[in-house]
Amino acid sequence: MTTATVDKRSTSVPVPKPQRSRAKASRSSETRGAWLLLSPYVVLLLIGGIVPVGYAIKTALEKPPTPLDPSTGFGGVASFKTVFTDYRFVDTFQNVLATLVIWLPIMMVGIVGLALLIHASPGRFGSAMRFVYYIPGALAGIANFVLWVYLLNPGQSPIEGFWHAIGVDTIKQAVAAPGQLPFILTAMMFFQGVGSWIVVVNGGLNGIPDDIFEAAALDGANAWQLAWHVKLPIIRPWIGYAALMNLAYGFQLFLEPQLLDQVASNALPDQWTPTQLGYAFAFSNYNFPAAAAMSLILLVITLGIGLLIVFRSGLFGEEDN
Amino acid sequence: MAAHTRGIESWSPGRLARVVSMLFVAAIFLVPIAGFVAMAFRSNDGVENGSGGFLGLGDIAWSNVRYSWSQVNGFGPDGGLFTRWMTNSLIVAAGGAILAVVAALPAGYAMARLRFRARRAVLLITLVTMVMPNTVLVIPLFLEVNAVGAVGQLWPVALIMGFFPFGVYLSYIHYLITMPKELVEAARLDGLGEVSVFWWIGLRISKQVVVLVAFFAFVANWTNFFLPLALLSSNQRNQTVSIGLQQLIGASPLFNPTVAAGLDVKLYMPQLALATFISMLPLLAVFLGAQRFLIRGETVGAVKG
Repeated sequence: MTTATVDKRSTSVPVPKPQRSRAKASRSSETRGAWLLLSPYVVLLLIGGIVPVGYAIKTALEKPPTPLDPSTGFGGVASFKTVFTDYRFVDTFQNVLATLVIWLPIMMVGIVGLALLIHASPGRFGSAMRFVYYIPGALAGIANFVLWVYLLNPGQSPIEGFWHAIGVDTIKQAVAAPGQLPFILTAMMFFQGVGSWIVVVNGGLNGIPDDIFEAAALDGANAWQLAWHVKLPIIRPWIGYAALMNLAYGFQLFLEPQLLDQVASNALPDQWTPTQLGYAFAFSNYNFPAAAAMSLILLVITLGIGLLIVFRSGLFGEEDN
Repeated sequence: MAAHTRGIESWSPGRLARVVSMLFVAAIFLVPIAGFVAMAFRSNDGVENGSGGFLGLGDIAWSNVRYSWSQVNGFGPDGGLFTRWMTNSLIVAAGGAILAVVAALPAGYAMARLRFRARRAVLLITLVTMVMPNTVLVIPLFLEVNAVGAVGQLWPVALIMGFFPFGVYLSYIHYLITMPKELVEAARLDGLGEVSVFWWIGLRISKQVVVLVAFFAFVANWTNFFLPLALLSSNQRNQTVSIGLQQLIGASPLFNPTVAAGLDVKLYMPQLALATFISMLPLLAVFLGAQRFLIRGETVGAVKG
């Protein structure tokens, strides 16, 4: 109500010259107000984002102190050389790629397939199933890991029979058999991650107007054709968004391989993923320049994926509504 | 299960296949969780002998929980370490969530409703940092905190957790939807400054977004593993429960007999499951508290699971 009256008042004001300087003044007070409102966030952004990146760049360009030469100082790109020529460097990226090759397709098929199934089940059954699929997502991180220790340890696993059938008697055998780790990580991450993405893609499906389905039904489309030719093309942006987010997620793998190594009596490589390697540079070798260089490499990769997500998904640019 | 009431004639093969496969997937998700929760209530002997039948449900007893708790909370030089870890997690997760709300609301409002030159740049930085996995910054954050000599203390962890770009994005969307431009302009013409408009009008209509930001921030902080691992590992009493659980696993005779032999407490699978179960209870509590708002804000909240 106040809005309407004020609107009338503001439109009835003639538009003479002084308006411009007043507009300018209001513009600068708007800028001042904006920065004042932004200031707590900017401080946290500096502490939690900008300053550490800047400091990591500075650290990466230093030379690490050694027992013979305890001084630090400018070292150029030597730390990047240390990282690139480390015997584990290429392996860690190969491991991540090996995991992504198995995990991403399964994850995407699972997300889209289950979201379509839920969307084809209106009413309480569909929403109950969506809730059930979401539950494992609540067991994030370490809790999901302990659950998987329970599943992977043949000694007390509910799938004990399965482990014995494939000749596995200890958790060490289950985890450390050659080539097994990408599959186990796939299972762990699928279990934990699929539910929340089903909710996202399902949200996209729910946004499709009903008349599209009515038109397709009039054309004689059955449930399969509806899913394949109508729903799937429409939710393509959501699928792309989910795929890229999960791709970026692959490069941060740390907890699962690190702790699986711990429960498998160190039978796994200690540095299996890039993040583990960066952690080892910092906390085993105390080579901070190399650790900084490693995290900058990962930062550039995930930043590239992040920019791709932001510009391709339409997150950025819808602000003028 | 509404389909049942409509009678058997509507059960086409396609429909049957859909319902059966959905129930099958649901069972794959639920059975391990049910077995794991049951594990928290079982006895070491029962697990060893494989008694208790399906998922060990017959082995459940309250006395097992009391024994397991004495073992879990007996861990540490003087015991009580687990309680301490839970308290630490509460401090950093709640502290970080409060900071996130305090910073996100005015920032989201400014980006949604005020025009200033760097607006698009700030929005872009927020979106990019939101979609990037936060672990890539942990080593640089460690170097930063190490440079100021605060490694092993709780406050830097809470402060860093306060940087929560997803919360800023949620607030930004919230104000785009709930606060029309005209309302802001009307308030300005009534003589209110930019900060006052936010304070007197923006905050009035922000209950929904406060709950959403606080909820997502608390959950993210509580389950965060890598940041506390890098910043708090050096100080056993200042660890959070997420990395504390890792210590309990490392002290279990199941995986590390040599370490476990030197301990007073015995941490087998029931004890580990109980510790994990207890560590999830605060998440359950905030979920139940925020549930009403989560359902309403589903479309916004769904942007990042």
